[in-house]
Amino acid sequence: MIDSQSPSAPRLSVRQLHKSFPGVRALSGVDLDVRGGEVVAVIGENGAGKSTLMKILAGVQTPDQGQILWEGRPVAFANTRDAMQQGIVLIHQELNLCDNLNVAENLFLGNYPARVGLIDFFSLNHRARQSLAKVGLDVSPRTPLSRLSLGQQQMVEIAKALTIEAKILIFDEPTSSLSNAEAEALFCLIDELRQRGVGIVYISHRLAEISRLADRVVVLRDGENAGNLAKDEISHARMVNLMIGRDVSKFYQRRPHTVGDAVLDVRGVRTTAWPQHTIDLQVRAGELVGIAGLVGAGRSELLRTLFGVDRRVAGSVHLAGQIVRPNSPQRALAAGLGFVPEDRKTEGLILECSVTRNVGLAGLRRHSGPGGWLNRRQEKLDTLRAIDDMRIKTPSPGQWVKFLSGGNQQKVVMGKWLALAPRVLLMDEPTRGVDIGAKEEIYQLMEGLAAAGRAVLFASSELEEIIGVADRVLVMHEGRLTGELVGEQITENTIMHLATGGELPS
Amino acid sequence: MRENLTGVVKLLGISAILVALWVVMIQLTPESFLNSGNIENLLRRTALFSILGIGVAFVIMTSGIDLSLGALVCLTGCFLALFLKVDYQPYASATVYEVRKQDASLTIDPENLEVVPGVWDNETPPASAAGKLAPGQWVRLYQTKRSRSGMHRITAVEQAGTPGRVVLTLAPAPARDEVATDGTAIARVAPALPLQAYEEVAVADDKTDKVLTVPTAGDTVPALQARDRLWLADAKGRLKEQVIAAVESTPNGQSIRSDLDAALVADEWYWIGLERRQVMSVPAAILSVLAIGLGLGALHGVLVTYVRLQPFVVTLCGLLIYRGWARWLSDDQSVGFGNEYTDSLSWFSLGRFSTTLPWADPEWTLNVPYVFFVLVVVALLAMLLLNWTIWGRYMLALGRNEEAARFSGINTGGMKRLAYTLCGLLAGLCGILFAIEAGSISPSSAGSYFELYAIAAAVLGGCSLRGGEGSITGVIIGTALMQTLNNMITLLKIPNTIELVVLGGVILLGVIFDEVVRAVLARLGRGKKAK
Repeated sequence: MIDSQSPSAPRLSVRQLHKSFPGVRALSGVDLDVRGGEVVAVIGENGAGKSTLMKILAGVQTPDQGQILWEGRPVAFANTRDAMQQGIVLIHQELNLCDNLNVAENLFLGNYPARVGLIDFFSLNHRARQSLAKVGLDVSPRTPLSRLSLGQQQMVEIAKALTIEAKILIFDEPTSSLSNAEAEALFCLIDELRQRGVGIVYISHRLAEISRLADRVVVLRDGENAGNLAKDEISHARMVNLMIGRDVSKFYQRRPHTVGDAVLDVRGVRTTAWPQHTIDLQVRAGELVGIAGLVGAGRSELLRTLFGVDRRVAGSVHLAGQIVRPNSPQRALAAGLGFVPEDRKTEGLILECSVTRNVGLAGLRRHSGPGGWLNRRQEKLDTLRAIDDMRIKTPSPGQWVKFLSGGNQQKVVMGKWLALAPRVLLMDEPTRGVDIGAKEEIYQLMEGLAAAGRAVLFASSELEEIIGVADRVLVMHEGRLTGELVGEQITENTIMHLATGGELPS
Repeated sequence: MRENLTGVVKLLGISAILVALWVVMIQLTPESFLNSGNIENLLRRTALFSILGIGVAFVIMTSGIDLSLGALVCLTGCFLALFLKVDYQPYASATVYEVRKQDASLTIDPENLEVVPGVWDNETPPASAAGKLAPGQWVRLYQTKRSRSGMHRITAVEQAGTPGRVVLTLAPAPARDEVATDGTAIARVAPALPLQAYEEVAVADDKTDKVLTVPTAGDTVPALQARDRLWLADAKGRLKEQVIAAVESTPNGQSIRSDLDAALVADEWYWIGLERRQVMSVPAAILSVLAIGLGLGALHGVLVTYVRLQPFVVTLCGLLIYRGWARWLSDDQSVGFGNEYTDSLSWFSLGRFSTTLPWADPEWTLNVPYVFFVLVVVALLAMLLLNWTIWGRYMLALGRNEEAARFSGINTGGMKRLAYTLCGLLAGLCGILFAIEAGSISPSSAGSYFELYAIAAAVLGGCSLRGGEGSITGVIIGTALMQTLNNMITLLKIPNTIELVVLGGVILLGVIFDEVVRAVLARLGRGKKAK
């Protein structure tokens, strides 16, 4: 698997890496080469072994077998400090920064310039300014980290990696919480780092980014190398084929179908986050409505307000002609709404509980007898049906959801609501962090809901998802609805236009 | 992995340790450990502390904490003592507003007493009646602010200048002048009746009952009852307070049995009937105390959920406030029940169900204190709530991940308030049980460390302080383990100064064990990850 066409010798190589956890083989004989000045994208479905590979490279875990070669010499990393000393830094999906410290203090955390035990703030800030300039981040070193946007925080994390002269930077899903503009800034920075000769390993589910960035793509499948793609071979279809091992000619495309009367009617709702704008929208029975917009456009806030999680400042919500006052999730649930939240790990699931407990949670009340007697039978039936209908892959209904893959976890969250047969299902980022196979299954489930006459309102940051799944698209920009698109109007171009605050060309 | 596998493994582990401890104790000191009294004591203490532990377990399951339990036990115990406080007041008495030494007079408000105006001529025999103030009658002046209490004879009764007030002239004169500056009462006065008859009645071979006879109850003579008291006083100021054991109506009057000292009472003694007054009846007092516990628990819940304070802070303040409140209520003096409730409360707290076991020595009895049955009832109800109702499930769910529970339409605030309320209620119950068991409460020390014992038992029994986990059986076994250790320290004559060290060490081991089990099971679980 060594790329013999490349002119220079690899800076970092791994050969035949094996790693097992009790009962599961995460890596079985993986090879990878990274040269200075190139971007290597590592892709694969969830559970393909990407994370384990990266953790081994960064010294978080040690391999069972296999070699790591640094400039041709075998090395072993006992911990992250060893890896860092060699110049390998992993930038985690979740940022490792202290938001109670300021930018400069974060940059040099653990490595403060000091004189007789006192921090030399002058030198600290001076060096911080230099580091920030390298990543093109224009903020004062004294700014508290909590004031920065997520994108800016990511820049700080990268600047921090550069303060220790990183020679290999590993990005793990860096854009998952960035807006498009922030992501673009990150790509420019990565281009610049490549110019300067830094080797970059880039992990992402977003194939469009990889087409934009990567010099080479390494695909993993079930802990093994599934194939490599050189720069001129990189295409969406090829990457997908290698990842899932079968031919997917086209991204998911929904069949058109008929819709009924309005089920959800939102009139003049103002959210706490954007109280200056009112929002009116309708979703009809059997309709899948997508809300598009940039990160921070107020999509999540709108959904949260409709479900009663956030306070509603004004306006009314009608469900099948009847007014509901979703002042709390209990009310919303009782009225017939369901909500699949954005962050399934903190809001959607109780990770250290079984599939049964999670699927049953929302329905306990409805199935309980008088006096709140638990209906275990119904809970079990609901769970078995959900596992069956949604093809949730779990060894047993008693398995903790923590140990399921992202896609199956998301299905558990959906299963919780489907058991209740809500009239309207609100979904915030229905397929975030879910691999391609599971994505498609989730789309089919959404379509199944629509076919059964339910209304689905979902927000998504992935344009291809919105375009592929939604019957109708609502676009939000800075807290207000800037447009509504149907049929042929739904294109990447029109959505981005509205999402950035533009008007539709008439 | 099975849902409750961690719980089961932990429960088995802690049970094994408990059994091992018992085996060690039976080997080392079989006589004293297996002694009926020791077993009974162990059961009693396990029951008391388990009830407290079950309460705090609910709070811990919702990932909260209650540090105020010990102080709450003390406070509710003090309230029980105050609600059941008994005092004795004369059946008939009048308020005194002014005492004049010069005129030998009292200005009184006769209230319900009948007043017979006139002057006593030293000749006519006075018409004595307990409900009357008449010339020539003996009265007792008492509850004075500054003068001495004592017996006086009324020489004249006349209307005072102020309407409704009466002036009594007394012989001998009161020792001091006393005038209420603000018009409040300064003393009380009660009419006394001469003792009519006194005899000894043999009831058994060498036992005699002393019997007094007083006039038949009527308009002016109170109907005395068993457990009332009598003041017996003579003209020289000697005073005896006697408990009435029994009262019987005879043609001659009310005949009172008492353990009176025959030598003391002679001629020229007078009696005043004292009515036994309880602030509340026993059921009312118990319900009120439970309501106080419940209310304070609910208050914790409200502060945690509506005001969004941290449970640690809320209950830490509770700890200080309740302890201080208890000391202030009781003037920092021990409060108790004396011998007043021997038939009801003490019967319950000291009572036990005794049985011999068919396979054991017939001399040996298993004594199960009644308190243990209270635990059984509480534990069954708690298990029902935790395992068979949706509320229990909700509490466990929100303890693990409050956000996810809220997003699933669960009233997480309400569930937390329920947990704190239950905890407060059970602390109130424990306050009652501990107070009646001890017979008295010393407000500065009662219940000290109880919250820590309860939390420790809950943790040993499998409740994770991270929330979302716990079992009622576990709490009881955890408590039993701690009580056995305690017992061990006493029986093996280990210096009891080291007690806390041992307890702390065991809890630490328990928690380490918990972590190990969790890690091992998590690893096994990951092994079964779906492919």
